[in-house]
Amino acid sequence: MKILKIPKKDLDLFVSILPAFGELYAPVRRGSGYAFDRPASWSDVQMDYPRTILPPRKFFLPPREATFAFDAREGYRDLLREAAVRRVLFGVHAYDIFGLNILDRVFAEGKFPDPYYIARRQNTAIIGIDFQPDDKHFARSMNADFVDSGFDLFLSDIGDHFLVLVGTSRGDDMVVMSGCLLEQPTEADFAEYKRRSGLRRAAYHTQVELGDLPEILEMEYHSQVWDDVATRCLSCGSCSMVCPTCYCFDVNDEVGLEGRSGQRIRSWDSCLFKTHALVAGGENFRQSRASRIKFRFYHKQRGFVAEYGRPSCVGCGRCAAACPAGIDIITVITTIRGQADAHGDRTVGVAAAH
Amino acid sequence: MSEPKSVLIIDDDPDFVHAVGELLASSGYQVSTASNGREGLDLAKRLQPDLILLDVMMSERTEGFFTLEQIRDVPALAETPVIVISSIYSDHPVFKVSPEAGWLPASLFLPKPVDPARLIAESARLIAASAATGAHVPQAGSSGR
Repeated sequence: MKILKIPKKDLDLFVSILPAFGELYAPVRRGSGYAFDRPASWSDVQMDYPRTILPPRKFFLPPREATFAFDAREGYRDLLREAAVRRVLFGVHAYDIFGLNILDRVFAEGKFPDPYYIARRQNTAIIGIDFQPDDKHFARSMNADFVDSGFDLFLSDIGDHFLVLVGTSRGDDMVVMSGCLLEQPTEADFAEYKRRSGLRRAAYHTQVELGDLPEILEMEYHSQVWDDVATRCLSCGSCSMVCPTCYCFDVNDEVGLEGRSGQRIRSWDSCLFKTHALVAGGENFRQSRASRIKFRFYHKQRGFVAEYGRPSCVGCGRCAAACPAGIDIITVITTIRGQADAHGDRTVGVAAAH
Repeated sequence: MSEPKSVLIIDDDPDFVHAVGELLASSGYQVSTASNGREGLDLAKRLQPDLILLDVMMSERTEGFFTLEQIRDVPALAETPVIVISSIYSDHPVFKVSPEAGWLPASLFLPKPVDPARLIAESARLIAASAATGAHVPQAGSSGR
């Protein structure tokens, strides 16, 4: 992997060349939060943001998309080409890149590769950037605080410069196109990178133990904890809407009033929704709210481990930030582990970094 | 008699805008001006000029680049000839700005101070070629660097 560096003062010039690789999206302010959107100027780009409201998943699995159109006279029209818009996502945190790598396992490398997802992945360049964790991040516990693939370039703050990891040939093309903006790093730059890397690891205040969690979930399948959490959960689905790795979707055919043409629409769904497990005949496999919130935890922390060898949670903290009822995953896991009471007063699980 | 061709100048330097505006007006162009990227984008959408002269370093030193991207996002302006005119090379001699560098979606780059005769000649060439083909006109010859 090629490693270079760029002066921070010249990053605006470097970003100016990125639209040659696709529409530029970057973290910008949206109300009191942040969102990946088109910046109107360099000053719109927020380099020090804790997390965006929605993860980059929205670019690869859009909230709503037409997969094909149909017409009685013209037949089917594939809308795959519309999915292949060239984009550049600038300033993506490691856990969100990790989230995309997890989605790849399901949508690009699984039994049923999704051409729409794959087209978007291939046409989207990703430039990562490091970040300082806040009290809701627990990406380190999920081994998603650093990432070694899934990006074209990755920027790490080393003071007056960013160290630039070049991850792909597309990233290398960006470097070449920018002329002489990037430089060779020195041994002192590497030493500074290592020093800051250690500091970032130590900055995680929120931690959760993953070891044997699938087994403990197996033991606690009938735990009262799920009913207790369900008394607070509103089934609003906010946690899954903001999750980098939630990918449940619904499919509906929307037919025009004339009944001769229409589109097949794929849209986000949530396992917290009461209709998520509703099937023909009226049977609902997860009628109760407790069963639905339990399903979400078991899928992320147990089912995904069995299928793919790791949980699908990346520790971004968005679900806790978005929950209007104040439910947070750390408290639920530590309660299940018997290390906190049902009110979330933890005895372990949250540790100040020393 | 045909309508005069229109040129929009987007630049935050009033002296440059005045001088180049007078130059273009005396050559028969209808000239509009904007002093920043946002105002320039709004005017470009409204007027749909035959040519845009765009500065780079305005309130931010890459403002012109972002403005150009937004201009290209407007379907009616996607093929409008744009001449980027800037003194960015005096600040950053290693940074390749010309369309030949492969990333700048402009027709031409001219460094400041601009040669008036060349500006008039290139403006006429780009407008004529755009009118003839209805397409974005690639740069002819060197970037002037």
